[in-house]
Amino acid sequence: MTVPADSLRVFEPLPVPRTSVARPDDLAVSVRGLVKRYKDGTEANRGIDLDLHRGEVIAILGPNGAGKTTFLRQVTTELRPTSGHVSVFGVDTVREPERVRRMMGITPQEAGVFESLRVRDHLELFARLKGLSKRDAAAAAKETLEDLGLDRDANRRVGALSAGQRRRILLGLALVGHPQLLVLDEPTTGLDPAARRVMWSILRRTVAEGASLILSTHSMEEAERLSDRIAIISAGQLIAFGTLTELTTTTTLEDLYLELVGDRYPVEEVCEELR
Amino acid sequence: MTRRLSDIWCVFLIHLERVRAEAGPFVLAALVFPAGMYLFASAVGGDAAPTGGNAGHQLRFLAGSIVFSLSLTAISWLGYLLLENRFTGRLRLFATLPLASSSYAFGILLFGLAQAALGIASLLLVSRVFGVRTALTLSTSFLLIVLIVLMMLCGCGIALVIASRARSFSEGSLLTDALGAGIVLIAPIYYAPESLPRALQYFARILPTTYAARAVHTTLAGGRDIASDLLILAFMALVTLTVGFRSMRWCED
Repeated sequence: MTVPADSLRVFEPLPVPRTSVARPDDLAVSVRGLVKRYKDGTEANRGIDLDLHRGEVIAILGPNGAGKTTFLRQVTTELRPTSGHVSVFGVDTVREPERVRRMMGITPQEAGVFESLRVRDHLELFARLKGLSKRDAAAAAKETLEDLGLDRDANRRVGALSAGQRRRILLGLALVGHPQLLVLDEPTTGLDPAARRVMWSILRRTVAEGASLILSTHSMEEAERLSDRIAIISAGQLIAFGTLTELTTTTTLEDLYLELVGDRYPVEEVCEELR
Repeated sequence: MTRRLSDIWCVFLIHLERVRAEAGPFVLAALVFPAGMYLFASAVGGDAAPTGGNAGHQLRFLAGSIVFSLSLTAISWLGYLLLENRFTGRLRLFATLPLASSSYAFGILLFGLAQAALGIASLLLVSRVFGVRTALTLSTSFLLIVLIVLMMLCGCGIALVIASRARSFSEGSLLTDALGAGIVLIAPIYYAPESLPRALQYFARILPTTYAARAVHTTLAGGRDIASDLLILAFMALVTLTVGFRSMRWCED
């Protein structure tokens, strides 16, 4: 997936004051020169620099295969960077992956749930695996079920729930135990508009309580409504990064996005074919 | 250490719930197939009526069926669970937690041990119905438990390797099924080693089922002289588990 550098119209990231004045202890996530090269030679991330501040929300946009998931999986310690450095609340993700994961709630893309478990047991057992005592895990599971609006389904088996409810359980597994950092990979993909709004409201509440959030999405609306800053990744590079206001001074977010990454798809040709 | 044990217990509980939901296949894997093999071996082995005749043969067939049950539980069933977790994205849920991969593997192994204990206890009960009398005492029962644990560790190591290396769910399932039954049928557990072709006799020497069957047969007959078999099984368990843990991938690269 290597794209010649000169074929990309690189959007210079706008200067963001919060990054330049940030003290290290203000950072939830610090990423420097992140490169991920797979065994087959594919370069999924090519030198990404990004900071997420405490209590901040960053949405990552980008086409399929742009390197969003690879980026997030390096932040969550699931993948080891080829080069570069990622730290979470000052802790190196390569040197102390378990300590890093203890501070995080993660919703991976396409993760599966255990259908045979009851909803309450699922949350409670995973809370215990996050290090909570049995009593604390039970209390945390109860609280999360209420937050997610799933308290009436607590005794149902996960396999009996709708796709939207299962997606909420996945989010619940990330939220349970009040982690300081949430990393969500396309958390609302496949949800109907009502379920999506429920998820947004849960996420807003969680951030208001002090959590930092980094999420990937294909939805411009989601990025606009939820995030403090928006990053656009294309061909493994960060090609735009700033607040919504900074990015959309002369255009809309969608137009900017299509201008930056749209030329990777033959949109005009497809439209012509359809005509 | 306490944390590690708690993690193993939680992984065990998560998988234990499946027993309630899918009891049928569990019984099939742990009891029905091995019991069927016992009856088949008894018939083919000369004891047309399993309830009568040669007690030595009956004990050997029972030992073979116990090892068959362990092999199916450890390799086929645990392998299936590990593959399912990997290819349905459940492994990713575990990989995002502050959980050591060994805790995950031992949690699954504990679940397998519980199932093995259930299967073996049922087999011993069923065999009594067919008139098979074992000479198990308290001390030989303890040896039998050690043998069961070692055989399960060997099988779990093999299952870990297959589940980690398989390129697809179907490829992995075929391998675990083939090996779970294959290493029982190739090993001389239903018949004397001398009756195998010479090439297979050499091959059988590297299979844990060969030593497990011999040792289980000895303990069922009330003997305690299984030190060499125990040592070989312990060594094989160490090797297969080491290879299994090393090949285990916490995430896809």
